[in-house]
Amino acid sequence: MLAPRQPEPSQRPLIAVAAATLATAAGVGWLLQRAWKPKGDTNHRAAEALGAGAAILCVSVALDSAIEHYRGGFKDRAMFVGPTMALLGLGAATYIAFRPERANDRAPKIALLTVGATGLIGLGFHAYNILKRPGELDALNLFYGAPAGAPAALTLAGLYGVIAGEMLSSRAYVRTRLPKHAAGLIAFSLLGTVAEAGFLHFRGAFQDPAMYAPVTIPPLAAVAVGGAALTARAIPIAEPLLKATAVLGIAGPIFHAYGIHRNMGGWRNWSQMILQGPPLPAPPAFLGIAAAGLGILPLLNQEAK
Amino acid sequence: MLEVAEPRAINGRAPDVFREGKWVPMRCYDDSEEVDFAIVGTGAGGGTLACKLAEAGFSVVTFDAGPFWRPLEDFASDENWQGGLFWTDERITGGADPVELGSNNSGRGVGGSTVHYTMIALRWRPEWFKCRTKLGYGRDWPISFDELEPYYEEAEEALQISGPIRYPWGRRRKRYPRRSHPVNAPGLVLARGCETIGINWSPVPLATLSSPRGMAHPCVYRGFCAYGCSTNAKQSVLVTFIPRALRAGAEVRDLAMVGRIDMGKDGKATGLTYHRRGEWRHQKAKHVVVAGYAIETPRLLLNSKCSQFPDGLCNENGLVGTHIMIHSGPGVWGVLDEEIRQYKAPPCMAVTEHWNYDDSDKKDFHGGYAFMSQGPLAVGWAQCVAINRGMWGMKLRQEMTRYNHVAGLRIVGETEPQRHNRIEVADEKDQYGLPIPRMTFSYSENDRRLMKHSIGSMKSVLEAGGAKDLWIDDDTSHLMGGCRMGDDPNDSVVDKDGRSWSIPNLWVCDGSLFPTSGGVNPSLTIQALACRIGDRITHMSKRGEL
Amino acid sequence: MSDFHSPYLTYDVLDKWDSPSWNEQTRGVVRQRLEQVPPRRFLSADQWSLLEAIASRLVPQPDREEPVPIAPWIDDMLHHNHTPGYRYADMPPMREAWRQGLNAIAAETRNRHGKAFEELSPDDQDELLSDVQNNRVESRYWGDLPAGGFFLHHLLKQVVGVYYSHPDAWSEIGYGGPASPRGYARLGPDERDPWEAEELHFEAADA
Repeated sequence: MLAPRQPEPSQRPLIAVAAATLATAAGVGWLLQRAWKPKGDTNHRAAEALGAGAAILCVSVALDSAIEHYRGGFKDRAMFVGPTMALLGLGAATYIAFRPERANDRAPKIALLTVGATGLIGLGFHAYNILKRPGELDALNLFYGAPAGAPAALTLAGLYGVIAGEMLSSRAYVRTRLPKHAAGLIAFSLLGTVAEAGFLHFRGAFQDPAMYAPVTIPPLAAVAVGGAALTARAIPIAEPLLKATAVLGIAGPIFHAYGIHRNMGGWRNWSQMILQGPPLPAPPAFLGIAAAGLGILPLLNQEAK
Repeated sequence: MLEVAEPRAINGRAPDVFREGKWVPMRCYDDSEEVDFAIVGTGAGGGTLACKLAEAGFSVVTFDAGPFWRPLEDFASDENWQGGLFWTDERITGGADPVELGSNNSGRGVGGSTVHYTMIALRWRPEWFKCRTKLGYGRDWPISFDELEPYYEEAEEALQISGPIRYPWGRRRKRYPRRSHPVNAPGLVLARGCETIGINWSPVPLATLSSPRGMAHPCVYRGFCAYGCSTNAKQSVLVTFIPRALRAGAEVRDLAMVGRIDMGKDGKATGLTYHRRGEWRHQKAKHVVVAGYAIETPRLLLNSKCSQFPDGLCNENGLVGTHIMIHSGPGVWGVLDEEIRQYKAPPCMAVTEHWNYDDSDKKDFHGGYAFMSQGPLAVGWAQCVAINRGMWGMKLRQEMTRYNHVAGLRIVGETEPQRHNRIEVADEKDQYGLPIPRMTFSYSENDRRLMKHSIGSMKSVLEAGGAKDLWIDDDTSHLMGGCRMGDDPNDSVVDKDGRSWSIPNLWVCDGSLFPTSGGVNPSLTIQALACRIGDRITHMSKRGEL
Repeated sequence: MSDFHSPYLTYDVLDKWDSPSWNEQTRGVVRQRLEQVPPRRFLSADQWSLLEAIASRLVPQPDREEPVPIAPWIDDMLHHNHTPGYRYADMPPMREAWRQGLNAIAAETRNRHGKAFEELSPDDQDELLSDVQNNRVESRYWGDLPAGGFFLHHLLKQVVGVYYSHPDAWSEIGYGGPASPRGYARLGPDERDPWEAEELHFEAADA
C-alpha cells in the first residue's frame, strides 16, 4: 500500500532558478561558439576540438582532485599526483588546441599518454579506497568514497589528446575508422559521466528537479553520437544534443553554486560547503566531452560522403 | 538558560520555523468554540495527529506546555544553555532502579522530545507486535505489523528518512526517501567490529536530511542533535507535521500547560482547562486527545479525577500509569589509537540489530536489544565519566584529554511491562498547583539478564573494532507505557485506536500506548500509530462512529 | 599526582569566535558565561567558600592563573532554581539538598579534624570527599540525605558540568566546541578539519 501523497515544499523557486541558469548557460555557450574559430581542414578542426575538450576535462579534474585530495589531507603522498598530472594534461591539451598541427608531435603525445595512464592508476587507488572500508563495495562507500569519475576523466583526456594527434597522421585508419571509434569513445565518455552525475544526484535524492538534467539530455546525446558512428542520419540529431550537453556543462557549476548557497551558512560557510556541497568543478566534464564530440561529427559526415 | 517568556503562537500567526523572524498565518479558535479535537502535547504523537486530523478537515487546537521554538534563531551551540529544551518542572523518581528524567528523556516545547531526540528511525521487528503468540513472552498488541506497515511508510515519507539502500533487518521494504549519511568514526568502529565478528551492521536510518528539502538545510554534522538542531536538518515534528497542521487550519497554543480534562455530567469530556499568560482558561472540545508522553499523559488522567471518576479518567481497572517501561542502556566505552572525535555528526550513526532478530543465543532471557555507536559532547562525556566511574580530581582532567580517542556503544534494551513500574501523582504540587508525578521503576530479572548479555556483545564488537581499556556504564532511554492499548477493557486503558473504553471522546496518542517496549527507539512507531489513529478517526467519523 | 598535560596546547576554541563555527546566539551565551560571572546570591558566605574549596579538589586547576569559576555558577543555578526536572525519591528538592549537603560536609570536617574544610591539606580534603562519596560519614547533619547520592548526583555532576561548559575546558580536551552554521566536513578516523584541534602528543596509555 502506498503512503498517501503528502505536501512537500513548493518547487517553484527551484524551477525559476533552473530556468534562469539554463538561459544564462545557453547564452554563454552561444558566445563560446561564436568565439571558436577553428582553422584548417576537418581533421585539424577535429584535433583542435579534441584538444580543447581534453583541456576542459583536465581543468575539471585538476580542480576537483585538488579539492578532494585536500579534503583527504594529502594523507597518501600519491594524492599529489592526480592534480599535478591534470595540470600537465591541461598544458599539453591546450597546446594542441591552439596548435593542432602539432598534435602529432612526440612531446604532447607522451605527456597525454602519461596523463591517461595516471588516470588508470588513479582508478586503482580509488578502488582500493572503497574496498578497504567496512562494507567494501556497498552503496554507502560508493556515495562517499573516492569517485571513479575524476581518474576516468583523466584517462579520457589522455585518450582525446592521443586521438587528436592521430587525426593528423596519414594512416588509412584515420580516414576509415578512427572517426567512428572516436564517436564511440565520446558516447562512452558521456555515459560514464552520466553514471557518476546520476549516482551522485541519486545520493541527493533528486531533490531539485534540475538534477534530472544530466541523466536525460546527455544519455540521449550518447545514443545519438553512438548512432552517428553507424549512420550519417544520426548526425543532425547528435549535433543539437551535444550542444545541449555542452550547455549543461556550463550550467552545472552555476547550479552547484546555488546548491552551496542552499546549504547551511551558504557561501559564508564555504570552507565546509566547498567540500560537502555539490562539487563545482565536476559538471564541465560534459562541456569538454561535448566539445570534442562536436569536433568529430563533421568527420563522420565527411566519411559518409 | 534557553527560554521563551511569552507565547509566540497567538493573534492569528505562528512562527515560521524556516524563515528567521517571519510568521505563518494561523487559524485561531475561541475558547468557547467547541473544536473537534483538543490535543494535549505536540510531540511525536500529538503533533503528528494534529496534522492528520487537520488535513482531514477537523478543527484542531493543540496545546504544549513549552515554547514554540525557532531553531534557526533560538538554538545556541551550547549544551548547558540548551538545557531549556527539557522538562524541568519537578518530578520524583524512585524504585530500585530510579530512572533519570529531564534531559535524559523529557522534552518541553512544540515538537516535544523530537526536538532533542537523536533521530533514530527504526521500525519494530514484525513479530514483536504479537510477541506473546509468536515469541512466547510479553504481551500481544491489539494491532499487527501488517496493520501498521503502511503508516510506518507514511511517517518515513513525511520525515524523509535518510537511510541505507538495503537495511539488513526486517521485512522487505520500499527504499528510504533519502540516502544515508556518511558514517562517522565512532560508527565505523562499530562497523569494523561487527564485520570482524561476523554480524550485520547498518548506517542508522535517521530523521535528518542528507539533501535540501525546501528551505530546510541538509545536516552539517555539527553533533548537537541532542541539544536542538539549529540547522533545521533534523526532521522533528516542529519542522514537519506542525507546519503542515498549521497550513491545514490547526491552532497551536504554546506555553499552555493543560491542567485538567473537563468532564460533563454525561461522563464525556467537554474540553480542557489550561494555563496560559498567567491565567487558567477553558477550551471546549468535542474530543480530547492526550499526547503528553508516558509521564504527563497518565499524570493528566489521574489529576483529572472527579466525582464520576474518583480514581482518575480511564482508570476503572486501575491501570493508568502502570506497566511503565524504559529502554535499558548499559554502554561500553574504550580508547583507540586513532583519533575518533566523537563530537562530530549525529551521535548514533551505526547500528546492529542482530540481537533483535536472532534469538539463538538467548539462553536465559527473552526480548531484544539493538546497539548504536555514540557521540557525547564535552559536558555529557565529562559527567558520564565522572559519575559512572566515580572519577574526579586531576585524574579526571587527565582522563578527559583522551576524549578524542574514545568510542562507545550503548544498547536500546527491551524491558518487560511490570505492573509495579508506574507513574503516580504525589501530594507535592508544582508551580501551577498541580500534583507532581512520581515514577517508580525497577528492572526485572529478565531485564538484568538481557543487559548482562548485551554487555558481552558490546564488548566483543568494541574490542573487535580496535578499542582498548574498556569500561562499562549505565543509562536508560525513552519512556513507554502507562496507558496501554489492548483488546480487553479489563486489561487495558484504551482500545486499539487509542480510544478510552469508558469515555468515548477521550483518546490517547503517544508512547504511553505501548503494551511492550521492543528493542528499538520508539519515535517512529509512535508516529506510525498517530498516522493510523488519524486515519481511523477520519474513517469512524465518516461512518458516524465518533 | 603528576602535572596535567594536554595534547592540544596550540588550540583555543575561542579562536573560532568570529568564524562560521560560531553564531550570534552562541557568542551571546558564551560571552555572558565569560564576562558576567554572577555574585553570591543563594549560598551563605561559608557555604560558598566551602564549595569553592570542594570544587578545587573535584576539578583542580593549579595550572591556571585564572581558574574557571565554578561556585558562582552553581550558586546561580540555585538562585534561579534551575532544577534538572526530577529528584530521586530518597533526596530532598535541589536547593535543600545543596544546603544540607554542604552543611553536612562542613560538619563532617569539623567532627574529624576540628577545622574547616578550607583549612585542611589537599590530601585530607580528598580523603574526606572520598569518604563522602562512599557513604563513610558519621555526622548527624546528613540526616536523610544520602552522602554518596549527594556527592555523585549533585556535587560532582554540577562541578564537572560547570567546568566542562567553559571554553578553557573545551580547548584542553580538543573538543570542537560550538558548530553552527559551520559543522564538520571530515568525519572519519584520523580526519580533522582545519578548524578542529590539532593533536600534538597523545599518550594512549592511562595517566
